[in-house]
Amino acid sequence: MVPTASPLISLLLVAALSLLAACSNNPHPAPLHSVREDGKPWRVTYGNISDNPRSLDPQVSYDTTGNTIISQIYESLLQYNLFKTDPYELEPCLADGMPREIRHADGRVSYEVRLKRGIRFHDDPAFPGGKGRELTAADFVYTFQRIADPKVECPVLSVMQEFVVGLKPAFDAAKASGRFDYSRPIDSITVIDDHTFQIHLLKPYPQFFYWLAMPFTAPVAREVVEYYHGRDHREQFRFHPVGTGPFRLAEWARGRLIRLERNPHYITTRFPASGWPAERDAFFRPLANAPLPLIDEAQYAMIKENVASWLLFRQGYLDRVVLGRDNFGSAISAGLTLSEAFRQRGVQLNKDPEPVTFFFQFNMDDPVVGKNRKLRQALSTVYDGERANILFRNGVDINAQQLLPPGLFGYQPDFRNPYRTGDVAKARELIAEAGYPGGIDPATGRPLVLKLDVVALNSVSRQRAEFDQQQFEQLGIRCEIVENTWPNFQDRQIRGTFQMNSGSGWHADYPDAETFFLLFDGRNLPPEGHNASRFQNARFDALFQEMSQLPDGPERLRIAHQLNDILVEECPLIPTSHLVLFSLDQPWMRRLSRNALLAGGAGNKYAWVDPAERDRLRKAWNRAPLWPTFVLAGAALATLLYAVRWVRRQNV
Amino acid sequence: MLTYLIRRLLSMIPILLGVMVITFLLFYQINRPETMARQILGPKADQRTVETWLAHRGYDKPIYLNTRPGEPLLDSQFFNTLKGFLTFDLGISDYNDEPVAKMIRRGILPSLLITLPAFIVGFSLSLLLSLFQVFIRDSLLDRWGTAIFVALMSIPVIVYVIFGQWIAANLFAWFPAFGFNFEGLSTARFLALPVLIMVLSGLGSEVRLYRAIFIEEIRADYIRTAQAKGVSHARVLLVHVLKNGLIALITVVVASLPFLIMGSLVVESFFGIPGLGNLMMNAINTSDFSLIRANVYIGSLLFLFGLMLTDLCYAAADPRIRLQ
Amino acid sequence: MPPLWLQNVLFLAGAVVLVWLLRRVLRSERYRRAFIRLRRDPLGIVCAAVVALFLLIGLSDCLRLSRQESLLDYAFRHVPVEESYSAPLARTTYDEFDPKPLKGRHLLGTDLLGKDVLHQTLKGCRTALIIGGLTSLIYLPVGALLGIFAGYFRGKTDDAIQYLYSTLHSIPNILLLIALLMTLGRGLSNMALALSITAWITLCRLIRGETLRQTTRPYVEAARTLGQSHWKIITRHLLPNVMHLLLINAVLGFSGLVMTEAILSYLGVGAPVGTASWGAMIVSARTELSRDPVVWWNLVAASGALFLFILALNLLGDALRKAFDPRA
Repeated sequence: MVPTASPLISLLLVAALSLLAACSNNPHPAPLHSVREDGKPWRVTYGNISDNPRSLDPQVSYDTTGNTIISQIYESLLQYNLFKTDPYELEPCLADGMPREIRHADGRVSYEVRLKRGIRFHDDPAFPGGKGRELTAADFVYTFQRIADPKVECPVLSVMQEFVVGLKPAFDAAKASGRFDYSRPIDSITVIDDHTFQIHLLKPYPQFFYWLAMPFTAPVAREVVEYYHGRDHREQFRFHPVGTGPFRLAEWARGRLIRLERNPHYITTRFPASGWPAERDAFFRPLANAPLPLIDEAQYAMIKENVASWLLFRQGYLDRVVLGRDNFGSAISAGLTLSEAFRQRGVQLNKDPEPVTFFFQFNMDDPVVGKNRKLRQALSTVYDGERANILFRNGVDINAQQLLPPGLFGYQPDFRNPYRTGDVAKARELIAEAGYPGGIDPATGRPLVLKLDVVALNSVSRQRAEFDQQQFEQLGIRCEIVENTWPNFQDRQIRGTFQMNSGSGWHADYPDAETFFLLFDGRNLPPEGHNASRFQNARFDALFQEMSQLPDGPERLRIAHQLNDILVEECPLIPTSHLVLFSLDQPWMRRLSRNALLAGGAGNKYAWVDPAERDRLRKAWNRAPLWPTFVLAGAALATLLYAVRWVRRQNV
Repeated sequence: MLTYLIRRLLSMIPILLGVMVITFLLFYQINRPETMARQILGPKADQRTVETWLAHRGYDKPIYLNTRPGEPLLDSQFFNTLKGFLTFDLGISDYNDEPVAKMIRRGILPSLLITLPAFIVGFSLSLLLSLFQVFIRDSLLDRWGTAIFVALMSIPVIVYVIFGQWIAANLFAWFPAFGFNFEGLSTARFLALPVLIMVLSGLGSEVRLYRAIFIEEIRADYIRTAQAKGVSHARVLLVHVLKNGLIALITVVVASLPFLIMGSLVVESFFGIPGLGNLMMNAINTSDFSLIRANVYIGSLLFLFGLMLTDLCYAAADPRIRLQ
Repeated sequence: MPPLWLQNVLFLAGAVVLVWLLRRVLRSERYRRAFIRLRRDPLGIVCAAVVALFLLIGLSDCLRLSRQESLLDYAFRHVPVEESYSAPLARTTYDEFDPKPLKGRHLLGTDLLGKDVLHQTLKGCRTALIIGGLTSLIYLPVGALLGIFAGYFRGKTDDAIQYLYSTLHSIPNILLLIALLMTLGRGLSNMALALSITAWITLCRLIRGETLRQTTRPYVEAARTLGQSHWKIITRHLLPNVMHLLLINAVLGFSGLVMTEAILSYLGVGAPVGTASWGAMIVSARTELSRDPVVWWNLVAASGALFLFILALNLLGDALRKAFDPRA
């Protein structure tokens, strides 16, 4: 028997031995190096993303995970200042100084951009000799050509062609001929010399600078795109990002890991020399003008569920974690400060308001809710946003009173929405005025039935839907929950086959009020636009039109307030909350800024970490109690003894 | 034998065809290509991007038959996919344009790394325990054992995983509670926990099944004869019962062997193992229809392959069965 | 939606028919012998009692007094709804820093929305009953009849039925379920329908095999030569002889169905919002485990109930099998 079984047994033995030898609960792969060229310790940060990015092509990606990675590999002409958050402020990145505005006689506008010199793309086999070449104005021409190329599928093309010259004709020409002609220069950009060019706009558009800070306008190199074309056993460009940013992609193990490595030739930006909060001068002073990035490697583990990321954070294997509802209980005490156990560990708590608003919206084409303003007001009044906030977000979020989120031009911190009081008595009055006294539909004599579309795929959203239902049913009506998958939900939203829905959160692409009010613009109807509630109001549309051409100032502010008042009174939406991101940083990290727009990935070049401290604390935190081992061994031994005794007794 | 195999292979074709028809039927009911495109491109994508996206992937063609004038009748989504599958071209992922075949190849190893050890350990352990149970059959321990195994199989996999992960993270710091990484032999530390959980969750039903098979065998006439002739109890069990029972057993087990490749949906996604189960989960979550239909196709191929293996096993085990 | 009274009458009628069927079946010799054997098996009896108890609770939740209230809810009408979590038998809400006094006592605590966990757990019986019961009602007759047809008529009928189930069976089970559920839409009855589309296959194969064996027996030959109609042979001779397989399969299948519901909940296609189900409770309690202090009672109550029910069903199935086939 033994000889035949020996390969299996030896295999098992080897496996068991190696298991014992490598007994560690650290899930991360070893860093690329242990010391830098200059002898200092190699610094790694460990983060997590929720999924595989769909694409790492800056002209294509439009999701958070993709942007987290892209904004570290690529750079745009402008970037957000690390320290300025209220309001957010742009500063030059690839550009050498802010673009100069040139107004033309025909109402068109151009911006002249000068590039910094000596900026090189990452080293990559796509370049001759494997050495990245210098960035020139021609790369921006190519980038704008890509935006217009139908094959690239740039998701913001239809928005950008409204204000950038030449995108639409280029797209239409390519569509007609079947392929994009890259040899023909695009009208959007005029090259003046290798490091100077002009971008032409169809009309004055003050928000254009924000677009110059987005990854969509980040330059890519033509030879790289053409080298990685998916043939000759090469992967596509979307898996091989090569930019000018502070990090280069070192490894992408689909479904488990993205590893970025410091770009050794990075010179575009340095650590800011001023602007930090005065009380942390001692920490920031030595960093002033330091070369970036401060770390050498960034690992992103793919973790879909926050139960797992929370486990790893507690074991010290993630440097930062965003708190979900269920981690609040352990990390944060009722005063929304850090709980004792975590304070003793040296963990830091961050609260960053995000430019996000969550709301319910009504379908204004619906014969019941769409045509009855009082009914909408009643529903809006009865919903207790504060209680929802406490139950589902531990009271962390900001109970929303308006569409605009904090940090945006036009947000009014002291505004109180008369229909967002949670006052049940008043809501009942309103519904009586609306023609449904006590929630009863006089036509049938039964409670009015409203259908609420939700996306309830996980347990939290299920509980949330149940809560929402209870809230609205306080009016005496019946609220039926219509469960959807995401695509169905969107489909119903686009086709307008819903009555009211929740789950629509709107995240600002850039910190400007326009992106929010656009949602209720009467010309922005689905399927082309995003006005899913089909709100039509002539005055609103006129004001919005006026606003979009104005620079920030008292006039623009006045219009923003008027737009808000219309939305409050007409009630096509019930704003419920503004997201506040609660996150924890391990003691070996240092918090640098509270800029939510840099929190994703763009800020990682400023990140700072102390690897020695991390190693020490990780060891201390992962000492498992001994008793379970003994209990387990004891139980196994007892079973064995019993079995042996039993067999002996049987044989006797 | 050969003719039988060929006949068998031919009979698979209508079944695969049926599978594809059902897949298309169901998934187009759930997700029109347009909604799928919207989910993949994100809520902010505009109509024109959606249309270009659809056209680039052939989703603007009719689903089953192309009745548009001037176009070939079979230039439809269904037949184009079918053409691809028959030539083993699985197409590209709708989500990120990666070749599906590549994604699947990448997932096979991690999946096998957990399912294969789980199968080997589970199978040998169940064999051992069931033999022991048969050995001591009808004793108190046997009855208690059966009750315990029934209890083990009455716990859903999810409960196993939830408790397993929690206990591993809080009471033992031996293994990572989550994650996967290729690092030679010590890859095993990532596998220990999932494998343990898979073994435990499958143990109950397997021991019960094997025990039933052995008990059936032990009541056969030839065993009675052997016992009557005075062959020792242990010898009867280990030689006759084991040998004949094993044949019956293998024919049962062999059908499930091809499925080891497909991995485990729940365990893989809980522990972050980038295998085929996880891939499938992602495909469902991201509405990656081309990945889903490729997976369904491969799944049904494996199933039919398993059926064939079973038949062959029967034939090998029992020469009386003629494969006409 | 049919009116309330009709729903109630239907549920009651269903229960009565079930009991009547059982009693009628017991009159035949074979079943009486099995029943006598079963009565001597104390474990089997206990399990049968537990299953019956769960089913009764489920039934009581199916009987509605009004749109919002069932008989079971009526029994719990004095149990108040709290603010949020509270531990079993606690006097205050489960909050380290700002505990609020509770309005009542809760044997198994309360959940996030302040609902009594015991009440929710018992309401889970209804979901289990509907999913298990309704599905069985659909798939048992279909599976049994198709199996008998295939085994009795053979030839083309057999080929067609085999083709049907081979095709369905070769689609990965869980995928087929998800697809069906998404196509049919949410709701318990749709779930039962989807589950039965996948569940009949195993039964059909089993019955087909058994029928093939039975048709070679002399009594079928005799009936044929006597010129009895096909229908009569099937209902009078074949069906009674495979009935016990059906019964055992129904009991074991029931537990499988309830377990599948838990997985489907995890995959996000489980019972609809507002329907208490053990699967959904377990899945949502999973995140509660990472709270500190741990909220464990939700998970323990739901998995406990699920475990008990499935264990009882499995043991009952075993006992039944033994009762019908004393050799095994």
